Amino acid sequence: MNTIEEKLWNYIDGTCSPAEQEAIARLIEQDEAYAQKYQELLALNQEFAKMELDEPPMAFTYNVMETIRTENAMQPLKANIDKRIILGIAIFFAVTILALLTFTFANIHISGINISAADIKLPAGVKLPSTNSLFSGPVLKWFLIFDVVLALFLTDAYLRRKKTARQL
Amino acid sequence: MQSKLSDIELIEQTLAGNQSAYADLVKRHQRFVFTLAMRFAKGREDAEEIAQDCFIKAYRSLASFQGQSKFSTWLYSIVYTTAMTFLRKKRVATDSIDDQNTFIQVESRESGYDTNNIENKSRSFYLNQAIDQLLPDDATIITLFYKGEQSLEEIAQALGMETNTVKVKLFRARQRLKEKLEHNLKQEVKELI
Repeated sequence: MNTIEEKLWNYIDGTCSPAEQEAIARLIEQDEAYAQKYQELLALNQEFAKMELDEPPMAFTYNVMETIRTENAMQPLKANIDKRIILGIAIFFAVTILALLTFTFANIHISGINISAADIKLPAGVKLPSTNSLFSGPVLKWFLIFDVVLALFLTDAYLRRKKTARQL
Repeated sequence: MQSKLSDIELIEQTLAGNQSAYADLVKRHQRFVFTLAMRFAKGREDAEEIAQDCFIKAYRSLASFQGQSKFSTWLYSIVYTTAMTFLRKKRVATDSIDDQNTFIQVESRESGYDTNNIENKSRSFYLNQAIDQLLPDDATIITLFYKGEQSLEEIAQALGMETNTVKVKLFRARQRLKEKLEHNLKQEVKELI
């Protein structure tokens, strides 16, 4: 059961029902003890409302913002890079490769279906190193084996990723 | 000069990348957050650390703020959890809220101040002194209710309690504050005599 004080605090805070509110108002009017306690609590309530807030140091906001700025600056570069920049670089390379291919194909003179008839001429004075020794039988074999292993490894990794994503 | 924009507008601007909007939010709420931190820490340096930590945490999770409650209510819930973690670290017992005999060693906010001159002290000084002597939970509820412009429901949301629990705690906290206030004033009068 509520004490007089509890009832009066509820009345002051306005947290009781309209019926209770009315009953307490009547009690304050008629009962001297209620009226006295009510005045006492009302004065206390006004005093509590006058409490002062503490003042933080002058540089408080500056310190908070500086910490946030430092944290942002310390973020990994990967998270900071704008995806549009990456896309721009990719487009640049794609366009360059496309332009190079277009230029190369434009300079090929195909007669019939004889590919060996392609007439690609290097500028005068440019000499390519001899590739005969580089692409000998064993080197080519190892290169192909490495390619096959790499392709298998990448396919396996791709399939595993796909399987995990499906399970999630 | 403080911004005239609402909290929600400032949050939207912050999320769009405008950091000065967040600085405005900090300026707007810093006094209250610092006061709440003082209720737990009882020392300005620790309170500053807690308050700063709160604003940084709030900044980090600003995107998750749904706007279903007031920003202040959401921020005060961060203050409460941060301060509780701080207290746990400092190994100060906070869960004995009903233990009326528990007194916390208070680092006086006016240390070095001439405490004998009663005429120089206002009623608000005694009130703040009495609040400092309360347990952190009591002091927080009283501060949120009287200065945080928070309803009982909002206080309950910020502290993660039931509304009725907050109501009972507020009643008890007011009783204790009244007792402490009377006790401190009597002590001062005795010292003067």
